[in-house]
Amino acid sequence: MSSETIWDKLQNIDRKVFYWILWIGLMIPFIRPIGLPISIAPSTRDLYNGLLTLEEGDVVWINIAFGVSAWIDCMPATVACTKVILRQGAKLIVVGAYTDADLSWDKLRNSVPDFDQLEYGKDYVYLGYYTGGEAVVAQIASDIRSVFPTDAYGTPLDELPLMKEVNSVHDIDMVLSGDTGDWGDYYMRQWASPYGIPMAEIGIAMLASSYMPFYKSGLLFGISSSSRGGAELEKLIGEPGEATVIMDALSVSHLMVIAAVLLANIGYFATRGRRR
Amino acid sequence: MSEVYKRELVYLVTAVITVIMFVEYFFLGTWQLAETLRTYATIIANIALGLGAITLVVSHAKKIQRRAAGVWAFSAWLLIFLAISFLSGLAGWAMTGSGQGNPMYDWFFRYVYTPLGQTLYPITGFYIFSACYRAFRARNIDAALLLIAGCFVILTNAPVGGAIWGGFPIIGRWFLDYGQVPGMRTFLIVGAFGMLAYGFRALLGRERGFYGEVAGGE
Repeated sequence: MSSETIWDKLQNIDRKVFYWILWIGLMIPFIRPIGLPISIAPSTRDLYNGLLTLEEGDVVWINIAFGVSAWIDCMPATVACTKVILRQGAKLIVVGAYTDADLSWDKLRNSVPDFDQLEYGKDYVYLGYYTGGEAVVAQIASDIRSVFPTDAYGTPLDELPLMKEVNSVHDIDMVLSGDTGDWGDYYMRQWASPYGIPMAEIGIAMLASSYMPFYKSGLLFGISSSSRGGAELEKLIGEPGEATVIMDALSVSHLMVIAAVLLANIGYFATRGRRR
Repeated sequence: MSEVYKRELVYLVTAVITVIMFVEYFFLGTWQLAETLRTYATIIANIALGLGAITLVVSHAKKIQRRAAGVWAFSAWLLIFLAISFLSGLAGWAMTGSGQGNPMYDWFFRYVYTPLGQTLYPITGFYIFSACYRAFRARNIDAALLLIAGCFVILTNAPVGGAIWGGFPIIGRWFLDYGQVPGMRTFLIVGAFGMLAYGFRALLGRERGFYGEVAGGE
């Protein structure tokens, strides 16, 4: 007869069991939404307040440095920020550092109804995909046309009314970088630090801890972290969207992780004496 | 040209460009010469994209040729889809005369790439859930502290944390805003000094890893 106790068995659960538990757990809020209240993090509030300082005619540069795989984390905050920027009467220039930038631009364009009231080329411009890392970010700071002679649709920049007055970092009033990687660092080093351009970060959850020292030092005026940051921004602008919907799933999955860690440690301590 | 000269040339080019960028960033603000060099860097980065595609084809073709165990079939799939996307891109360009608005390309990106990409990221959640159960054990005091801090941060990020107890977000936010910031600052500053040291070593031609593959595989 096996001498395995319940704790021993719990220590060796097949990983597929976890996958099923999580999957079933995630279904609950979709079947029956919970709608828990969301508090606003100071870094998100500062991001929102920073956007509210924009004035009519200001030019904002949005760098989309996340692919479709990170839409869930970065797109809701990008959408909410874009709505605020456009409602402040600011002009928008969007670029993409990932090869699927066109898809992200389409998603952003279709998620912000305010674009329908605006004129492409005059109120907003999409310059498309670019590559070259930090060197190209530095180069855009000194001469946008040397990197983007045309917009993403092949129109020369000089034919776009918005771009006639914009040729370097000196003509940009604010930068938002949506990131899963290092592009935010490039903009901090090449734009925010040397030229004092106000900059905010929209990142996946992992990046919040990396960028927190820069927010504390004032180099970033705000940070939106993951879909949670997106949900907070949606609450701030009073328009619940995708991020608000997935907050319930986030609650369930995070609770399950806590439960798993607790259970694993109870089992670990229960069997530790015998292992010794 | 001998290997020695080739290496010296790389040292020289790197040193000159480093000095130009350094002087521009710290002393001049903008410098036409530095701008021109960065334009070259941008062009080279774009050429590297095409070169990367060629290298990818060569590398995976070799795997298929060798029938590399466990991977050659994936290499074959990669080449098949690379060919499909390349040919559909060319066909769309021939039809529309532009890189934009290619219906075939759009279809691949919208209905194949996007769902796959969006599935990829959430799938990691399942692995993380399983890994948390297996790996997060309070085996010593350091691990216990990490676990406790992690649990508070998790309960801060999820709205349910605040709903259970209002103290969770306050303590979790403290860990995020103050607990980890000194450590991250130290890490960033030390890393920056490390990068400086690496840069100087590269500038002086003492960083062999930097030049090795470029100048003779040392």
